[in-house]
Amino acid sequence: MISSILLLGGIGFLAALILGISAVTFAVKMDPREKAVLDQLPGANCGACGFAGCAAFAHEITVNPEAEMACPAVNEEALEAMSGILGRSLGGSAPLIACIRCKGAPAETTNRYGYVGPKDCRAAQIVAGGSKGCQYGCLGLGTCEEVCPFGAIIMGEDGLPRVIESLCTGCGKCVSVCPRGIIQLIPKTGNYCVGCISKDTAKDMKPLCKVGCIKCGICADVCPFDAITVSKTTSAEIDQDKCQRCGLCVSACPTGVISALRVPQKVRIIAEKCKGCSICEQVCPAEAISGKVKEPYFVNEGKCIGCGLCIAKCPSDAIERIIS
Amino acid sequence: MKTFKGGIHPPEEKQLVKDNPIVDFPLSSRYHVLVQQHLGAPAKPVVKAGDEVKKGQVLSEPLGFVSVPVHAPTSGRVKEIGRIVHPVTGLLAPCIVIDADGRDEWAEGLPLERDPFAMSREELLDAIKTAGVVGMGGATFPTHVKLSPPKDKTIDTFIVNGAECEPYLSSDHRLMLEQPERVLKGAGVIMKALGLDRATIAIEANKPDAIKLMREKAPAEIQVETLKVKYPQGAEKQLINALTGREVPSGGLPMDVGAVVQNAGTCAAVWDACARGIPLIERITSVTGRGIVQPKNIRVRVGTLLREVIDFCGGLNGAAKIIFGGPMMGIAQFTQDIAIMKGTSGVLVLREEDTNITAYSACISCGRCVEACPMELIPSVLSKLGEKGMYQKAMENNLLDCVECGSCTYVCPANRPIVHFVKHLKALSRAASAKK
Amino acid sequence: MKNISASNPAEDQAKEQASKLSVYVSSSPHVHSTEDVPWIMRQVIYALIPGALVGVYFFGIPALKVIALAVVSCVVMEALWQKLTGNPITIKDGSAVLTGLLLAMNLPSGAPWWLVVIGSLVAIIIAKQLFGGIGNNPFNPALVGRVFLLISFPVAMTTWPEPRSFFSQAADATTGATPLGALKTAIFEHGTIAAAPGMNLMDPFLGNVGGSLGEISALALILGGIYLIARRIITWHIPVVYIATVAVLTGILWLVNPEGYASPAFHLVAGGLMLGAFFMATDMVTSPITNTGKVVFAAGCGVITVVIRLWGGYPEGVSFAILIMNAFVPLINRATRPTKFGAVR
Repeated sequence: MISSILLLGGIGFLAALILGISAVTFAVKMDPREKAVLDQLPGANCGACGFAGCAAFAHEITVNPEAEMACPAVNEEALEAMSGILGRSLGGSAPLIACIRCKGAPAETTNRYGYVGPKDCRAAQIVAGGSKGCQYGCLGLGTCEEVCPFGAIIMGEDGLPRVIESLCTGCGKCVSVCPRGIIQLIPKTGNYCVGCISKDTAKDMKPLCKVGCIKCGICADVCPFDAITVSKTTSAEIDQDKCQRCGLCVSACPTGVISALRVPQKVRIIAEKCKGCSICEQVCPAEAISGKVKEPYFVNEGKCIGCGLCIAKCPSDAIERIIS
Repeated sequence: MKTFKGGIHPPEEKQLVKDNPIVDFPLSSRYHVLVQQHLGAPAKPVVKAGDEVKKGQVLSEPLGFVSVPVHAPTSGRVKEIGRIVHPVTGLLAPCIVIDADGRDEWAEGLPLERDPFAMSREELLDAIKTAGVVGMGGATFPTHVKLSPPKDKTIDTFIVNGAECEPYLSSDHRLMLEQPERVLKGAGVIMKALGLDRATIAIEANKPDAIKLMREKAPAEIQVETLKVKYPQGAEKQLINALTGREVPSGGLPMDVGAVVQNAGTCAAVWDACARGIPLIERITSVTGRGIVQPKNIRVRVGTLLREVIDFCGGLNGAAKIIFGGPMMGIAQFTQDIAIMKGTSGVLVLREEDTNITAYSACISCGRCVEACPMELIPSVLSKLGEKGMYQKAMENNLLDCVECGSCTYVCPANRPIVHFVKHLKALSRAASAKK
Repeated sequence: MKNISASNPAEDQAKEQASKLSVYVSSSPHVHSTEDVPWIMRQVIYALIPGALVGVYFFGIPALKVIALAVVSCVVMEALWQKLTGNPITIKDGSAVLTGLLLAMNLPSGAPWWLVVIGSLVAIIIAKQLFGGIGNNPFNPALVGRVFLLISFPVAMTTWPEPRSFFSQAADATTGATPLGALKTAIFEHGTIAAAPGMNLMDPFLGNVGGSLGEISALALILGGIYLIARRIITWHIPVVYIATVAVLTGILWLVNPEGYASPAFHLVAGGLMLGAFFMATDMVTSPITNTGKVVFAAGCGVITVVIRLWGGYPEGVSFAILIMNAFVPLINRATRPTKFGAVR
């Protein structure tokens, strides 16, 4: 009995001793700030910063005073907290969001053959160049959904991926895996994106896809800010720096290939501030504003497309968006 | 009987076509000659729409050393420089469309008569390159490059590859039976170009008639070796290993162990190029499989549409898969509007029951792939890494040594597409290194 | 990345498109061996039939009941689990049937129904599905089930009905000991094997002894094992090396001290060695992938089996030996990687 107790106790003591010694000798010295910074990072290890995971980046930004904030996935709050921890201002980059630049769901497009193989777009692409009729379109096997560390992409029932705006951090992981290059990062403040990158002429494209960009150029013509370029062999491209998010292109596009990330908010005129100058009525592309000169103007909410052109032009700051 | 370690023995299925003599494919009215038919640097078209061309005339010029021209398969007029689906990539690629005039006239001075054994090494290599000769087993690597080893490599072994280990195919078999002189004389020319005084012609034991004929016809300096019937016996590295016991080092080339291997069909093309100045504009192809009504061995011009070839062989019969090449390493096609290339050793049409389209499941670690792998890798590990896209880890597991012969995938009881995973991993690692 | 299974819309889609175009496209190779997983499982089941029949012959209807119950509960357990977790149901691959059969063959024929069901539950759910299903389990599921029962319900698991001819089964079956159990008792009580009753070799060779219902006949199991080797389902490495290791080790000790140790012939035919060597240790998922690895693995199994049989608390050590060596398989696999073709040797 006694010997058993001594033996087991001895083994336990020995193990504890080894653990204790190891804890002291092999202890990794870590800056407490590093831990604090790590806590603020998303912890998804997406690799968008260029480092091998969040811990590696936390280390870098803590020990290297020159290091810049490279994580695209942190929010304002965390950025501020980290600036506080490190005692220097970390200029965050403008937050980005992924947008899917293909609207060619299987129902709208043709297929060249029946693909048999692993369910991975990249693997499908290397067999005869992918089964989709259009060589630019989404293959629909969901590799972007699979790799998204934030669960921000889901494959819709139509067979195309959809980005969940609130979850997307713009880390770009999906962009790097898409073999067709149809995912693009745009500023989170942006709102419009063209759902097609086909370089085929409209004639070549039409038999393959019912909904692609036909390169008609109407969007470029209606854009008041010159933000859209399109040619016979390039789909419409929105320059996000120039885009003022008026949304005229969306209503003008005959194939509906331009989409909005969110529904634009409509505007209203603050009667007390309105001087009745009529400028808003003149700029409104939707004829949604009317009124008498020198009296407060009105917005017809049914007609308003939320482009916000009037807000930009109003000399007396009398127009605001309706917060719903 | 000589062989290598590993490998498999799938049903040979050669009886479908091996006894059918080669028939000439009739002249077509239109040819689609792909500009890029070889592995290596691209070539550039030198004709334009409306040009009159003669049979054997150069249509494209090679850009760089590792590149070869293509030639007009018949006389006629260039309709356009168009685009056609490339059988290897599955994407549209430039091709020269020629409307045949039906006269089938040779370009001036062709075919010529000359004694290749009186020509210098440089002249031979130039003749081979000018004729656009590439490896005709399917890899389509320019032949003149293979015959120009760098100065620090001594070549002491030349092997003519008549193994034809791919199931179903019989094009090399028929060639060796019907035109043994072209193969043997071509081998002689290559020996001269390499400065060797002996060669080996290696044939699998399932072609006893070809072995017997070759033994009768071969000159003393060309030895005929019988190989065990096993796939991939005709793979370059395994062939050298079986015959000489040497192992091509990992990441190396056959020339690193002093060996050069040329396919029997390539030897015949070399003979035509050197002795008669005839460019590579036609080849022997087995059109076979149970999905085709009349399997045939045809002599067909490069640029002939698959659609015409299939019609010539009686049409399709319950086809589920159409393959350029053999069932183990061939490339599945999705349209009949593609053109025969220099490397099209076979057109194989499989029915659904002959091929494999069932789902795959988890690896059960049975080790069959390890036993089958002729490169002595662990394919099951590569396939698991492929599923996760972990190419770096796969590189540590000798990803780049895989020759994609398909032995592992053939035997896998869980039906895992191991070769596809390997291709996927290789593509990922290529993309990653291109980014850097 | 999930694979394309039969119920996957992606494959249905591929089939539908193919019916239009009459062409499938996939990577090479385009032909496949007909020997798939269900085929392999079927072969192993066929190979187990002689052993199971001998069990039924000597232990009667109760043995048959145990076998049927184990197979059914394993299959149902697997289907249920996969249904509940929303995974594709894979009972068609035959692996659950095989696990059930192997588990039954490792149980005493008098095992009550609840014991069989608990064993199946542990084997299928804990040892197999929780690790990710077929191909991912590090330990042989049937053995995990058996060992769990042996430790938790030692009395029920070591109550061995006496063998009788199928045609003379009495309603109130008597119970006895296994040959190895008798040996252990004799050594424990008398310090010599001479006290062990009736240590003939023919009875355990044919199966006329007490024991788990599938382990009693060495002959039937060897026949099944030879079938598996002939069919190239397993290689000779594991069974031969395992059995040889046991024979050599027990042989040395027997030569040194024939009073204290039983003969190697006895050790080969008694207990679960044949069942273990041909059917349990050769489980593809839980054994090494290379032939060199298999030799190392089998030798380890042999050593541990002998150590437990001779000096351990349990009379039989095959199950424990195989499970312990299962844990070493990843290490063995790593250490016995083949040298690739063309490597500098």
